[in-house]
Amino acid sequence: MKLLDRILRRDRDEDLAAEIQAHLAMAERDKVEGGDDPVTARFAARKEFGNVTLVTEATRRSWGGVWRERAADVAHDIRYAIRTLRRSPGYALIVIAVLSLGISANVVVFTLFKAIALTPIPNVAGSARLGVLVARTDAGRIMPLSLPDFRELRAQGRTLHDFAGTSMEAYSLGLGTHGERVFGEMVTGNYFQVLGIHARLGRTLQPSDDVVPGGHPVVVIADRLWQDTFASDPAIVGRTIRINAHPFTIVGVAEPGFQGSIVSLRIGLFVPVMMQPQLRGIDLLSAREMPLLWGLGRPLAGSSTEAELLSAHLDAGQPARAVRQRATVIPIWRSPYGAQTYMLPAILLLAVMGMLLMLIVCANVSNLVLVRAVGRRGELAARMALGASRPRILRLLFVESVVLAIPAAAIGVVLARALGPLMGDDTVASIAPVPVGMELSADWTVVAFAVLVACASAVVFGFFPALRTSRLDLGAVMKDDLSPRGGSRSRVRNVLVIAQVAVSLLLLVGAGLVLRSLEAARTANVGFDPRHVASASIDLTPNGYDAARGREFYQRLLEAIRRQPGVESAALTGVLPLTLVDSNSVQTDVEGYAPRRDEDMRFLFNRVSPGYFATLRIGLIAGRDFRRSDSVDTQPVAIVNETMARRFWRTPEGALGQRVHLEEGGRWRTVVGVVRDIKYARVTEDPRPALYRPFEQSYVAAMTLHVRSSDQERALLPRIRSAVQSLDPNLPILNAGMLADQIRIALTVFAMAADTLLAFGLIAVLLTALGTFGLVSYAAKQSTHEIGIRIAIGANRGALVRGFLGRGLRLGAVGAACGVAAAALVTSWLSTLLYGVTPIDGVSFAGASAIVLTTVALASLVPAWRASRTDPIAALRHR
Amino acid sequence: MERTDPPERLDLLQGTLDMLVLQTLQWGPQHGYAIAQMIRVQSSEALQVETGSLYPALHRLQKQKFVKSEWRTSDANQRAKFYTLTAAGRKQLLRERGRWAQLVAAIGGVLDPGTAKG
Repeated sequence: MKLLDRILRRDRDEDLAAEIQAHLAMAERDKVEGGDDPVTARFAARKEFGNVTLVTEATRRSWGGVWRERAADVAHDIRYAIRTLRRSPGYALIVIAVLSLGISANVVVFTLFKAIALTPIPNVAGSARLGVLVARTDAGRIMPLSLPDFRELRAQGRTLHDFAGTSMEAYSLGLGTHGERVFGEMVTGNYFQVLGIHARLGRTLQPSDDVVPGGHPVVVIADRLWQDTFASDPAIVGRTIRINAHPFTIVGVAEPGFQGSIVSLRIGLFVPVMMQPQLRGIDLLSAREMPLLWGLGRPLAGSSTEAELLSAHLDAGQPARAVRQRATVIPIWRSPYGAQTYMLPAILLLAVMGMLLMLIVCANVSNLVLVRAVGRRGELAARMALGASRPRILRLLFVESVVLAIPAAAIGVVLARALGPLMGDDTVASIAPVPVGMELSADWTVVAFAVLVACASAVVFGFFPALRTSRLDLGAVMKDDLSPRGGSRSRVRNVLVIAQVAVSLLLLVGAGLVLRSLEAARTANVGFDPRHVASASIDLTPNGYDAARGREFYQRLLEAIRRQPGVESAALTGVLPLTLVDSNSVQTDVEGYAPRRDEDMRFLFNRVSPGYFATLRIGLIAGRDFRRSDSVDTQPVAIVNETMARRFWRTPEGALGQRVHLEEGGRWRTVVGVVRDIKYARVTEDPRPALYRPFEQSYVAAMTLHVRSSDQERALLPRIRSAVQSLDPNLPILNAGMLADQIRIALTVFAMAADTLLAFGLIAVLLTALGTFGLVSYAAKQSTHEIGIRIAIGANRGALVRGFLGRGLRLGAVGAACGVAAAALVTSWLSTLLYGVTPIDGVSFAGASAIVLTTVALASLVPAWRASRTDPIAALRHR
Repeated sequence: MERTDPPERLDLLQGTLDMLVLQTLQWGPQHGYAIAQMIRVQSSEALQVETGSLYPALHRLQKQKFVKSEWRTSDANQRAKFYTLTAAGRKQLLRERGRWAQLVAAIGGVLDPGTAKG
């Protein structure tokens, strides 16, 4: 069809040409018959006819729509651009290579951004627009809702369109012979309907699975768990598995790709919330003060205010509630349940860096295009002289830019696929204590993004050359020779090099700051000593221990471990430090202290055995450690950290003997000791109050064992394993490893950002070197003649080198100054990602400047030296 | 009458050229050059048809199916593209002439009110 169209059009073109020829021939003949001589007649006929090309153009316009003509023009431009570029393949390849480098970096960042922010929940259409319904205290803490509150809000129906409730927990999945730790969601019956997720096998959970407390022992498993753990067993539906030691029937497998609603976390199990009492051992379904679920659904317009209105109602129904809460809807990207809140700032930073990198790329390519444009001034001037309009020429140049940018976009996407795993999924997954899964595949949005970046960059890098061309002085160019000599004014090119130097310095300063933060965080005083400490988690729930037997088991385990040779100390803890997640916090009353109305009195707490502080080498400032005698039958005690002691009792000593009350019931606890602060969840966190309770007085079945040993680290783990198995051979050991390795997750975001920034910075420096090299080489080449003369009359070659070197360095210095100034202005935005360094960090700034200036010097030195080797005879003869 | 000055050139009103072309073709098939010549001669040199307007007009009329074209050899043994008025073209010419007459009458009325009343 298209071909036919083109053939017809070609016929019409020929037809028109013949028609005009006939016209001219007849006019000429008439004139000859009128008495003119043939030559005069021919010229007269032509003159009378006018501009053949213009007539042809005007006639062609009457054939079809304007768009058709335009399209034909653009098609022509594209063919022409490809033809010209084919004549200088080196230029085309360099431009495409440089562009694809920049595009791939941006595509990688975009892919991460897409996974976190655009498609946060794979398989759920429009998941980025989901709202999360939570409770917010006056102090701004965001918490899940209790089931009664949740139900009330759903009955009101004014916050979100039909919304589902969910919460995340780690479950022990019993498979008969051994246990496995699997993350699961406890969901309301409408969860799958709200998210629009179907079953691959069997069925999903239904609202009818959400009726009787404890009456729905059914589970839907994720496709991935089905494949990995159950070997894609086609007869899985109907099989019974044990979750936290309770039998559940598998009723279905969710559709492939769906991994739950916790952003970038792989969920394996979905159980009805009605089974909560069985799974956790305590019934929280009717407790209005126990946060249990958060809501997930599509927001109504203005739902945030609706929720604020409802909060009044919530509070009215709850005059006795300790902390005032409001129900509020937050967008999913701000939800604390998932990776988004700590990943997004890092991704945003990467995005800015990616754009800066793209700027350098554009400056670089712009430079190349400029050099080429100088050589093409003759051609362009000729075009303009022949009547090409300025927009027409600009369009031609733009089409040429796009023709280079589009293949670069394609290569960029492919390159990003190769680079992506380096900084995304796998790196994090290998160190994270939780199964991380992000959807990092390239789909049409990624391709569209790459093309968009490519076209935008084509506009940017084509801008200066086009500007220059539109100022082309036709007369001068046509009179002058068409060689590149006339184009030596290189102010624009200087500016481009300065810009590259400045931006790469900015990138390097950013990379330097984050790298130094990473270093500072690695060596930071976290308040405890993770070296030589092994750690292993144990969960007694699946093996049916009750509290008394559990206490006894842990006591015997500690004794067995402590008897091992080389073991200095061993202890139990409820939570591991530095896992990025805030562990349990508890609403606390302090005797004799009246909190302000909006004061946040929820503090971190942990349950530990005697010896915990010694094992982690956390200093005891006042009072005593827990003792074995602090048991269920004796006075309840607590240990607080220094920040808490100073906040409520001014001095650590003043805290001793004071009493606190923790929300979840029980009696007042007496403070018996004060310990130093540690970093609880993140290396970068501020000091905050924290409490410890003796494990014996607050038993839970899942604990983590810490063992400090002077022994070889590798030998320690098998010995712990054998000690556990000698007590109970069927007990699974979870996450056994060295504490130092396990807490490395706290540095993940730093490490990722640092790696990526460093990569960006180095690419930027490389490109800047290329740009400077190009500029100085070009300048040297242009003055070959002059250099030849100067050398011939005895100029000092050293002085020549110094001249060109000086030129490069001057630009470098100006660029570096701009870069330092810009960096000083913007690095304060990084402060959330920095640790242990100020945004104006001398080392980072000096280091970045040194790298950039050295690069510029080297990049100028090579062409300068080459120029000074010019053979005067050859140079002069060449002209 | 002496011809010292060339007659004043008149610019054609928008759309008028199409009518003139159709009118010219009423006498039989003609090629572009002849059409231009005839308009020039018949207007006593007052109307100079620009080729840049003539050929687009011819092609436009052909697209509108008011004329059709074929290659023929002229009396002078020159191959040329001859345009022929179609039935639709004849109707169009009548319409345009009607409109033209109205326009002339209207403008005449404005310029010379006495005539218009009579």
